[in-house]
Order: sequence, then C-alpha cells, then structure tokens
Amino acid sequence: MFLLSFIPDALMLWIVNTILLAGIAGSVVSFFFGFFARWMPWIIPYRMLLQIISLVLLIAGVYFKGGVSDEMKWRARVAELEAKVAKAEIESKNVNEKIVTVYKDKVKVVTKHQVVVQEKIKEVQVVIDAQCKITNETLDILNNSAKGIKK
Amino acid sequence: MKLFFLIPFLFVLSGCLHTTPVKRKFPEVPQELVQACPDLKLVEPTEKLSDVLKVVTDNYSQYHECKIKVDTWIEWYKSQKQIFESVK
Repeated sequence: MFLLSFIPDALMLWIVNTILLAGIAGSVVSFFFGFFARWMPWIIPYRMLLQIISLVLLIAGVYFKGGVSDEMKWRARVAELEAKVAKAEIESKNVNEKIVTVYKDKVKVVTKHQVVVQEKIKEVQVVIDAQCKITNETLDILNNSAKGIKK
Repeated sequence: MKLFFLIPFLFVLSGCLHTTPVKRKFPEVPQELVQACPDLKLVEPTEKLSDVLKVVTDNYSQYHECKIKVDTWIEWYKSQKQIFESVK
C-alpha cells in the first residue's frame, strides 16, 4: 500500500471502480451467457475466456476496493496528523517566544539590581575601606572558593 | 489483454506495509539558553574591602542569571514536551 500513496485519490478510485465494474459486467454476461449470446452471437467462441477474465476482474476489483478504502482511511489519518503537527509547531513557536521574553525580562531585572548594588558600594566605599583591610589569605580563600573544583 | 499483466503487479503493490509519512522534529532550543554560564570572577590582589565586595556581588548576580537560565530551560523543556506529546 506504500506505493499506492503516490497515486492521486481520484485516479486510484477510477482504476479500481473500472476494474470492479468490468468484473461485475463480465460476470453477469457469463452467468446469463445464453441470453446474451442470442443478441450477440459473436461472443460465443469467447465464453471460456470471458468467464476467466470476468472472474479475475471481479476478484481483483473487490480486493482493490477494500485496499482503496483502507488507503483512504490512512490518507485521512495522515491529513489529520499533519494538521495537528502544524498546530503544535505554531504553539511551540509561540511558547518559545514567550519563554525567551520572560527570560530576558528576568535577566534585565537582575542586571538592573546589580547596577544599584554597585552604585551603593561606590557610595559607601570610603567608609567600608576605612574600617577594614583585606589580607592576601582572605583573597586566596575567596578565589579558591570561586574557582571551584573542576574535573 | 496486455493490461492483465498489471493485475499481479497491483497485488504486489497492495502487499506493502503502511507507513505514516508525517515526520516530526522536537523544537530547537532558543539561542539565549544554549550559552554556557561564565566562570565566577576572581578578586585581584587588593586591600580594599570595596573591591572584594564588587566582585562578590558581581558573582552573586552571575549566579542569579544562571539560575534564571536553568529554570527557564526546565520550563522550556516541560512546555515543549507537553506540546510534542499532545499530538497523537
């Protein structure tokens, strides 16, 4: 059925219906052969051939009709799924935009707050530095802590 | 009569398995979230507490930014997973 997916719906239906109708018509003629032979005597030599061909066409037609119904069901399912995927992609894109906007806003708040803190340090810098002096050991501890342990 | 040779061929076609030709891809992560957090700043040799304080508060700020990034990552993944799994 995979290769059937490349054939357009209308063409596929037309082929299958033609096979089925030809099979039905041939079978009817074969069944009432005597009646038809009276009107069309030229078909008498082809009786056996007509029966075989009609039977083959009828079986093939019924089989393909079932196959086509199944194929159509799958195509409808695919179309439905494609619509859902398209909707999900739009939704996903909107969520992405929203998340990025919120993220940027939050980072902006942190940055703004940091500027305020730095300004505050500048204001009290003289007072802080006058009361306390930092030793090299203090800086070593602080820097080692900031470096962390890297594998 | 020649067309009858097509019938077995059509039978062969109908024997193939069904596949659903709908391909999906998990959405890309926003560029803002794929940048790694920088290392913490180190204090240059100094005796001034204010210099130390500046670096320390900068590092705090850096931590907060990274926390936001991680939280956003988690939120992004949960939301996108929910959307992705909603299509069945």
